[in-house]
Amino acid sequence: MKAVVDYIRGPWCIAIYTWREGMRKKTLVGFLILSLLVIFGSNFMSSFLDPSSETDMELKLIKDICVTAIAIFGMLITVFISASVVPAEMDNKVIYTVLSKPVRRGQYLLGKFLGVQLIILINLALMGSLFFLALYARQHVLPTLLLWSIFLTYFSFLIVSAFTFAVSCASTSSVLPTIAGLFIYLTGTLTEYLNDVFTRSGQSGAFIDKLVGYMAWCLYNVLPNLARYDLKTQIVDRAVNDPPTDALIPWLVLMALVYALSGFLMAYIIFRRKEL
Amino acid sequence: MKRQPNIVVIVAFIATLALGSLIGRHVDQLRRAEAFYRWILAAAANERLFAEENPDYKDKELYDSVSSVAESRLPELALDTKVDQPGRKLSRLGRLAGEPDYADEIWNLARGNDLVQQRQSFLDYARGRKLQLAKDIQYAEAQAGGVNVFNLFFGFRKVAATFVWIQVDRYWHQGMLYRMIPMMRTCVYLDPNFVDAYLLGAWHLAYNATAKMPDTPQALRKWDAKHEACVGEKERYYYLAVDFLRNGIQHNPYNYQLYFDLGFSVYKQKLKDYVNAVKYLSLAVQQYHQVWVPRQLYICEELNGQYEEALAGWQDYIQRYPGTQSALDTAPRFILRNKALIYEKEMRKAREAAKAAADPQEAEKLRAAAEDFKQKALQVWDEMKEPFSEYRKSRLQAQEMAEAGRYMEAVGILEKARWEDPADFDDAADLIIEIKLAGNLPLSVSEKKAVLRKQEGETCPGMPGK
Repeated sequence: MKAVVDYIRGPWCIAIYTWREGMRKKTLVGFLILSLLVIFGSNFMSSFLDPSSETDMELKLIKDICVTAIAIFGMLITVFISASVVPAEMDNKVIYTVLSKPVRRGQYLLGKFLGVQLIILINLALMGSLFFLALYARQHVLPTLLLWSIFLTYFSFLIVSAFTFAVSCASTSSVLPTIAGLFIYLTGTLTEYLNDVFTRSGQSGAFIDKLVGYMAWCLYNVLPNLARYDLKTQIVDRAVNDPPTDALIPWLVLMALVYALSGFLMAYIIFRRKEL
Repeated sequence: MKRQPNIVVIVAFIATLALGSLIGRHVDQLRRAEAFYRWILAAAANERLFAEENPDYKDKELYDSVSSVAESRLPELALDTKVDQPGRKLSRLGRLAGEPDYADEIWNLARGNDLVQQRQSFLDYARGRKLQLAKDIQYAEAQAGGVNVFNLFFGFRKVAATFVWIQVDRYWHQGMLYRMIPMMRTCVYLDPNFVDAYLLGAWHLAYNATAKMPDTPQALRKWDAKHEACVGEKERYYYLAVDFLRNGIQHNPYNYQLYFDLGFSVYKQKLKDYVNAVKYLSLAVQQYHQVWVPRQLYICEELNGQYEEALAGWQDYIQRYPGTQSALDTAPRFILRNKALIYEKEMRKAREAAKAAADPQEAEKLRAAAEDFKQKALQVWDEMKEPFSEYRKSRLQAQEMAEAGRYMEAVGILEKARWEDPADFDDAADLIIEIKLAGNLPLSVSEKKAVLRKQEGETCPGMPGK
């Protein structure tokens, strides 16, 4: 137990200072303010609707806009922060000071990764709580389904964050990992197309056609499919005890954790051999 | 030595990737099962309520196959006499799918091993766009691929649907109804769970679109085989609203608002079709519902002549919502009203039986029973003291007089009564015509027109057998 505590103490300190440093980044604060403005502004979208209609249309507007705003801005925050924490330290040479202390590279990476997750979680909590308040002010009922939606949103961010973090370990600047992160998000969202390519391949009978099909099939099975987290947008409007929702959520969480571990291991493989 | 840990980490990396892939495949299976489950609910709602078949699609064939497996796997449920149409045998799946309590059982069936073959057929059909009721199944659509409207929004279909709805709202304020209808359809196509779009869309169609239209004369109406009704320009909008709400019910079978709006707003208020109003309101009260829903059901039951059910319903309402304004004020009035209406019904039955009775003693006995029921009804009407009860008393009196051959007096009573209770004007007018015809009294111009309309009946061009 003591060994575990000793091993974790270093990464935890790194995670805390990464979080403090991250929260000072102007880009992130900008994204956060923008997202908060969109969430706050969604309350005024109802001015486009017929004020005489006694329906929950306004509520739906708020829900849809807020869930989308959280997904977009949350993803941008995730990509930017995951892509920049390690390269920024290489750039300003802080990494040399940290690694000269009794901290292993694995511990350093773990600390950085935990710090990134803290930043994402706190941003998500801020956006989510404003959304929660906006809904509560309208409904006067605690929107518990929203909590499940935000919970799932975090796990989709976790996957993108882990793989962007891995790419950032191979880079000295944050530009390439940021582009890679956005690409990971887009690829993850459109992975279903790979399955479609496989389904349609082989029609011409040409070898290359079949080969492309098999490659698409392999990629479809290996790459994390973020479209599976679509549930986060559907759940807000569904019933509390919708049986498929209950069955899907634990598996989606487990999948995110496993892929996050995979991304972290990839980062470790890259980083441990890196010449610093 | 340094290489060994590297290999361990690489193996661990590959192992986690493989594990992630395996979990992903399981999630995919669950998502496909979910799509299948939602299609089963939609197809079961279709079997139970609409019984629509389109030979261009494979829904019926697949549903029959699923239903035959479900017959031995799902528990039996007693027949619901309010909803299940007599003479049409519903499958066990069709009946259970209407009950939210059995959602878990159907979900377990949809994802279990019993329906592996049907689930695969479902996916194949969905990919081939051969399922009419699987239009909202985005997972299957995503697998079908192709650049379509859904992919353009990168999964943000619901937001897109909301913005389409804002446009619908704008068109409404600009009076461009012809543009609203396709936009409303696009809206629910993008988000089939957008219940408010169904509700407001149906309201626009049934109420706003028809607000300034006169009722179509019977001779100008044409037979609509789908809805089995004579339909003119105005009535077509009512049935567009019916179809729109039915579509909503197929996609959201556990939402009471859709059943309520179909039963109350369209069938009761617009089409005066109380049989269907009772049917859909009965389904609305089976779901999680608001307190006013059962009240409308009992009112429709009364209008449909189901006084016993209405009475039992109001009595149950008082037990269920004690202390509420409606339980204290409205329900007791309706209980009295239905009690009196039951007595009147029994009185009519006894009188008819007396007329038909061959034995004079038996006939006398029945006449006495009828008189007893009449006195009981009058007693309740006296107790109520409201325009409706006063009208019913006058009505009873007028009928008595007409039976005694005092037609002029009967008409006079009804003439007075109908002006004192305008809510029952039409009922009184019909009875006046009936009495005048029975007594060979001259009819007014409007009464003659009403008689002609009745003779013309509910027929229209294209009606089968006409």
